[in-house]
Amino acid sequence: MSVIEARDLTRVFPMPAGPVTAVRGVSLAVDPGDFVALCGPSGCGKSTLLHLLGVVDTPSSGTLTVDGEDVATLGDVARSRIRLRKIGFVFQRFFLLPMLTAAENIELPMAEAGVSKSERAHRVHELLEYVELSKRADHRPSQLSGGEMQRIAIARALANRPRLLLADEPTGELDQTTGQHIAELLDRVNADGTALVIVTHDAVFARRARRILTMRDGVLVSEERVR
Amino acid sequence: MSAFAFALRSLVRQPARALLGIAGVAAVGALLFDMLLLSNGLVISMERMLSTTGYDLRAAIGTAPPGRGPLIEHAGAIATRLRTLPEVARVTPLRLSDGLVVHTARPFAVRVMGAEPGSVGAWTVLEGRDVRASGEVLVNQHVLELLDARVGGPLELRTSAPGVRTVTPPFRVQIVGVADFPFESERGSTVGLSLEDVDRVSGGGGAQSADQLLIATAQGTTPAAAKAAVERAVPTLTAMTNAQVLVRLQEGGLSYFRQISFVLTTVTIGFAFLLVTVLLTVSVNQRTGEIAALRALGFSRRRAIADVFAEAVLIVGSGAVLALPVGLALSRLLDWILKGIPGIPASLHFFVFQPRALLIHGLLFAFTAVAAALYPMRLVATLPIAATLRREVVS
Amino acid sequence: MRRARLWVMASAVTLAVSGGGVDAAEPAPGVLISRQLAEAKALSPGSQIRLAPGGDGQSAQTFRVLGIYEPTPDPMEISESKFKVRLHLPDMARLVSGPADLMAAETVDQVNLVLRDPRQASTIATQLMTGTPGIVARQARAAVSGAGTFVVIERFHLAIAIVTIIASALFLLALSVMLVDERRDTVGVLRLIGLTTRRVLAQIFLESLVVAVGGAVFGIGLAAASQFAINRYFQWHYNTALVFVRVTPGVVAVCLAIAIPLGVVASAAASWSLLRKQLMTLARR
Repeated sequence: MSVIEARDLTRVFPMPAGPVTAVRGVSLAVDPGDFVALCGPSGCGKSTLLHLLGVVDTPSSGTLTVDGEDVATLGDVARSRIRLRKIGFVFQRFFLLPMLTAAENIELPMAEAGVSKSERAHRVHELLEYVELSKRADHRPSQLSGGEMQRIAIARALANRPRLLLADEPTGELDQTTGQHIAELLDRVNADGTALVIVTHDAVFARRARRILTMRDGVLVSEERVR
Repeated sequence: MSAFAFALRSLVRQPARALLGIAGVAAVGALLFDMLLLSNGLVISMERMLSTTGYDLRAAIGTAPPGRGPLIEHAGAIATRLRTLPEVARVTPLRLSDGLVVHTARPFAVRVMGAEPGSVGAWTVLEGRDVRASGEVLVNQHVLELLDARVGGPLELRTSAPGVRTVTPPFRVQIVGVADFPFESERGSTVGLSLEDVDRVSGGGGAQSADQLLIATAQGTTPAAAKAAVERAVPTLTAMTNAQVLVRLQEGGLSYFRQISFVLTTVTIGFAFLLVTVLLTVSVNQRTGEIAALRALGFSRRRAIADVFAEAVLIVGSGAVLALPVGLALSRLLDWILKGIPGIPASLHFFVFQPRALLIHGLLFAFTAVAAALYPMRLVATLPIAATLRREVVS
Repeated sequence: MRRARLWVMASAVTLAVSGGGVDAAEPAPGVLISRQLAEAKALSPGSQIRLAPGGDGQSAQTFRVLGIYEPTPDPMEISESKFKVRLHLPDMARLVSGPADLMAAETVDQVNLVLRDPRQASTIATQLMTGTPGIVARQARAAVSGAGTFVVIERFHLAIAIVTIIASALFLLALSVMLVDERRDTVGVLRLIGLTTRRVLAQIFLESLVVAVGGAVFGIGLAAASQFAINRYFQWHYNTALVFVRVTPGVVAVCLAIAIPLGVVASAAASWSLLRKQLMTLARR
């Protein structure tokens, strides 16, 4: 069964000058362990599609199932639970909470999911080692570099062992070398069994995916199988 | 991490802002607490003063304040008659007048109080003995100091009450003791005479006239029943229970303090509401990206709202708790200022602590915390996750 | 001696209002009554009332209402009865004293003097007291026992105002810290493109000055607008013509003198911490 399956997804934004269709009739499925890169020019609807797939936004029409469950009819609590347990999110601007340490930022989604304290501590330790930042556990975001912040953000997204990780321009705020390290880390995440959907402008990074989907004017215009 | 722990971290993150907010709430909270103490403080203090005299009824002609209404003629005879009533335990006729001590280089004004010799509750003799006959006077400590005299010395009194002919010669009496007079102001000067002597000082012929009769109710009788009995026995008298006196004071002389207390309570609550609403709203607006990210990571709307509410509770709660000691200290200062009003009895207080005030203080601040958090909570509740994340990236 | 204080029998029974029953050949003496008394007892010029010197209603005499007057507003009497009657001095003397009292017509409570040189008041009072035994002469201002009361009440208001100003200052400072923090990026950019700290501070100072003046003017406008409602309410509540709230030029000046510097200082203090930061700390966010 696909981790996520979208059929004929459309998202229309009402605007003062008239409605704008950001995503138009997109259908796609992401299987377990899949790695999809969403590419296309700015404003083509990549991020909107990612938000729809991440159950953050609601489609104007079309259906979306996560692990076979139709999310269209779900309320806020159920949608939040799906995001918490099944989907991980990585943002371009990291969005780490500045008042928490790196370890506390990683621990946060687990605490919200009701994971026991000892299990949380063990998992935090495991994830810090995974992203190679064990020594930075007690550092606050302001004391970390951009690359380190994004690693912590990836660790946070993996905290509840999601089946799918969505990343919106995860290397967008980083220099080339740091971006490459992040790309390698995400590669490792995918290799360890987590399905990945990334939005990126970086063609080199996109080539790491198994499939590259290209969008234009809200429509999927091509699909390339890389591996 | 609980909503409160999370909110605490948010506050610690911006210490200057949090401290200023809490200090602001504490300052308005202190004023609010004081206004709650003031709203009933004077009444409670007056009630305590009235009850310490041991009398629960005050009978006079009409309802004018003591010393302002017509005199009860033949007060001694009326008191004797009232003492025969089964509802009455004790009666003390009392007369108040204004006088001038004239045999010193600098004449000074005194409050002249007249009672029957041996009256209970009219005054408390501290030194020497009580007034037993005409020509004897009790003075308070302040008068003794002003005169630089001793018990046994002379004192010349003249009335300064309006409406009394000033051609009356000074009245010479002998100081027989020092007394503590009820309702005495901080540096007030009071002398106590027999009823007849107060009449003589006032230019009369020594009549037993009184302003009011203090009446103690007999055991097993209510003040209301005694009031009815007194008014039945002497129809020209109007008796008031202590409770009625208090109601009258609340509606009359004390109403200013109730009004200002009400107005300032409303203003301070409004101020605290504005302060916390603005603090939280700006705080939420500055963190929309973080909030949207947390929501994207799976935090429910309810949880995000709880975080804002917890922050409001922490700011308002800390401010409200801090307001109590500050308010108590401030109330001392305000009480001291207000006790400078001429003629205010030394034992009267404007700000009196009552558990009820503490409860209302807590309830009002709880209400403020909820009301102040409503708008920012609504902002969080209606925050569009996707649009906010998009906007954060674009900005 | 009876007190020279008139007691208007306020109950319907003893305050006789009548259109007849008085000998037409000898018209009742005229009195003026207070507006509050006229309203409460439905009296008008021409009405007849009976006044007695004591609370027992004895020795009451009939008087004719000649007119209605507004009592001089007196804060000391705010919560007291506004039922007042003005009589001619001889009428009053006849009412309070018995016919046997030959001195009654010559007896008054007090004599008010207007001095050619008010600065001499204290000296003249002393001269009067030493020269005329029994006379108590006091300077009018000192004689008003309520003056002390209002000085104290004013002090009380001042103390409350100080606490309010402290709370407002804290509020303003918190607000300024937040607003300045919100503009952290802008300040960073301005300094990056070469504006000096002084130049940025001057801009913030000017902006806060405009906001402080605007806020103060709005506050004064609000006070001026609400004074009417406050006065109307309390005049109704206490049934008096007393003015309770008055926004005077002096009050406006004090408000402006406190509010504007407070606003500017709060803004400058909040900005100062931001401007002291390293340029790159501001720009990097």
